[in-house]
Amino acid sequence: MHKQILTVIILLITVTINSQEKEWESRFDEISERLNVSFESNAQWYLNDKKFEDIKEDTERLRANSYLRIDYQISDRFSSGFQLESYAPEPLLNYSKIFDEEIGLGTFYLNYNTKKLDITLGYYYVQFGSGLILRSWEDRALGVNNALRGGKIIYDPTNYLRLTALYGKQRKGFDVSDSNIFGFETQFDIANAFQIESLNSLKLGLSYVGKQEDYKSDTPNPQATIEIPELVNSFGAQLDLEYKNLYTNFEYIYKSEDARLNNFIPNIVSFSEKALFDGNAITWNIGYSQKGFGIGSTFRRLENMRFYSERSALNLNNNPTSQLSMNYLPALTKQHDYTLANIYIYQAQPGLVVENYEFPLVKSGEIGESIDVFYNIKKGSLLGGKYGTKLSVNWSYWANLTSTYSNPSGTAYFVGDDLTYETELLNFDDKLYSEINAEIRKKWSPKLKSIFTYINLNYNKGFLESKGANDFVNAWIGVAESTYKFNSGKSVRLELQHLSTNDDANNWAGGTIEYFFNSKFGVYLNDSYNYEESKITENTEIHFFNLGGSYTKGSTRVGINYGRQRGGLLCVGGVCRPVSKNTGVTLNLVATF
Amino acid sequence: MISLWRVKKNVMKKFIWILVFNLSFTLFAQELLPNTTLKTLSGATTTLAEIAAVDDLIVVSLWATWCVPCKNELDAVADVYDDWVSETGVKYYAVSIDDSRTAKRVRPMVNGKGWEFEILLDENSDLKRAFGVSTVPYTIIIKSGEIVYKHTGYTPGFEDELYDQIVTLKD
Repeated sequence: MHKQILTVIILLITVTINSQEKEWESRFDEISERLNVSFESNAQWYLNDKKFEDIKEDTERLRANSYLRIDYQISDRFSSGFQLESYAPEPLLNYSKIFDEEIGLGTFYLNYNTKKLDITLGYYYVQFGSGLILRSWEDRALGVNNALRGGKIIYDPTNYLRLTALYGKQRKGFDVSDSNIFGFETQFDIANAFQIESLNSLKLGLSYVGKQEDYKSDTPNPQATIEIPELVNSFGAQLDLEYKNLYTNFEYIYKSEDARLNNFIPNIVSFSEKALFDGNAITWNIGYSQKGFGIGSTFRRLENMRFYSERSALNLNNNPTSQLSMNYLPALTKQHDYTLANIYIYQAQPGLVVENYEFPLVKSGEIGESIDVFYNIKKGSLLGGKYGTKLSVNWSYWANLTSTYSNPSGTAYFVGDDLTYETELLNFDDKLYSEINAEIRKKWSPKLKSIFTYINLNYNKGFLESKGANDFVNAWIGVAESTYKFNSGKSVRLELQHLSTNDDANNWAGGTIEYFFNSKFGVYLNDSYNYEESKITENTEIHFFNLGGSYTKGSTRVGINYGRQRGGLLCVGGVCRPVSKNTGVTLNLVATF
Repeated sequence: MISLWRVKKNVMKKFIWILVFNLSFTLFAQELLPNTTLKTLSGATTTLAEIAAVDDLIVVSLWATWCVPCKNELDAVADVYDDWVSETGVKYYAVSIDDSRTAKRVRPMVNGKGWEFEILLDENSDLKRAFGVSTVPYTIIIKSGEIVYKHTGYTPGFEDELYDQIVTLKD
């Protein structure tokens, strides 16, 4: 494989260099103009920490994930590229083990693009609608790359119609899924086609995604009474409307019947083979905005919407990083940057669980709502001051779908069950999470700025982290940060955080101090500390600190950090990335050429 | 990078060879624009090439609603944007990489904050990938259809450095 990659590169260079008879310098110029190269490496040296259990003897201590991506514009219409990935000697801890090569070809593609036609062969990323039905994407920090390998055609016959057709197998580490994926989408710009000038925009989207996969089970049921479908289909419709300052958007997805995972031996993949279940999703957004004021609301209901290119990936014990996912089902709560605001995080609950160990348990999906308001208090007013004040408020509420369990045949759960459920369309009673938060951004002078954040959340830990009954954590978090700018790029930032709760692990305090010597070079120190004793002792009286620095020049950035991570989003030096619990030294290098 | 020491020797050699090959191109900052499709807030599609054909001097900044340094950069630019436009004629495009989790927050936030520069959407990170960007904010300047300046991250006062670059490139 390595040899092939090199041959391709050398061929690419020789062809482009030799086929032109210009001066060497201008050839070089042209190549560099057409070439885009980016490199990223995240390395970590894991250290033993007296506060945690020692790292096992046979665990690799020094690990790195590295990515080299090269894109080349061959001509006006053709472009091509590839991505080399290296997980050497092993991927960083908590990354999926499917990334199992020291160095390998991750993706490659050839693209043909004109005004009306766009054809891609090889690996491609694609999204239909808001991604509820299909999304392939890459997130290196999360260790997700579920690109499709095959072909994709986008055709625009007129300026109000776009047709997309695709076929592929999904990327699975350095391999692909054992299934075939087909997709088709039509986007029709109604306002444009019928010249409806009273509307800013009116669009309709229709989509189809199908997955063909043979049925496999670790423990096939000899008494199976149904046939597991080889082809699982999903259909979607989306309508977008914009009128003056108002906008709204509605999307509906139906996913056809498939077997339900039967999770009674945790790491064994088995399915209920006596009943099939379909799924659906509804989202509705509506909003209004004008200069200085904006409001937006999102409603979403998901029922049995997990859709993987391999059925066995439904077993999240074996697949904790949710590889092979075909659709995108994020939690629709506000994403916070601050460390203490990332302790109690809501995660979307789109999956289906029906079981009966000691008592019946049904989880069939989630339902909820999120509302955002943004307001700019004018300069010169009483509250606005000389430079204006920016306000934002967000509220969200999420609940488990209210479902009733039934056991039609009365068969014991462990003997091939046919358990099923019924659910209500609009019932918000079974609460999982709610949050209200407000942020005020204030500029005091050209040199001094502050941000104040308040978050009040209610987190159903019992339900979200285990299968137990309701057990709520009620917490509020306050954050104040100020940045003072000296001359010539010097600046200092101070951030103080506090999380207050009488539940779970009780109170936390935290803070960051960051100093930039100039716009290129900065250092920081931050800490989070669970200072109060409680029955949850996992993090009690441990300083989760980070000490580090970064150097940035143009699009090249080098960062080094020594610290103990609790897990969450780490944002310093102007850049954010999610990190997981560990102690050690990390080195990040990012460069684009 | 560090752990590459442990990679088998021949793999290492090849890798270094590739790296050296790549680094030889760092001398050249100028670059063609990718033909990635972007959406406007009202759902129309466009590309950076189409935009660059109309305006000679453009700043493109990749950001997200959940990224505090990005919002700091955009707030700082919003404060001085009128002056920038009248003095240099520059056009500023803030390209949101928010995915469907947060994309619906873009429009009310932009209006609520009263930002007056142009907003584009890159919902499945196609432009971010085409630029090879791993973290936001990421800011570039386009002059006469070519990328002439790139910068990753935001530090307080970066807007002044950016303005100096714009002034230098104005003519």
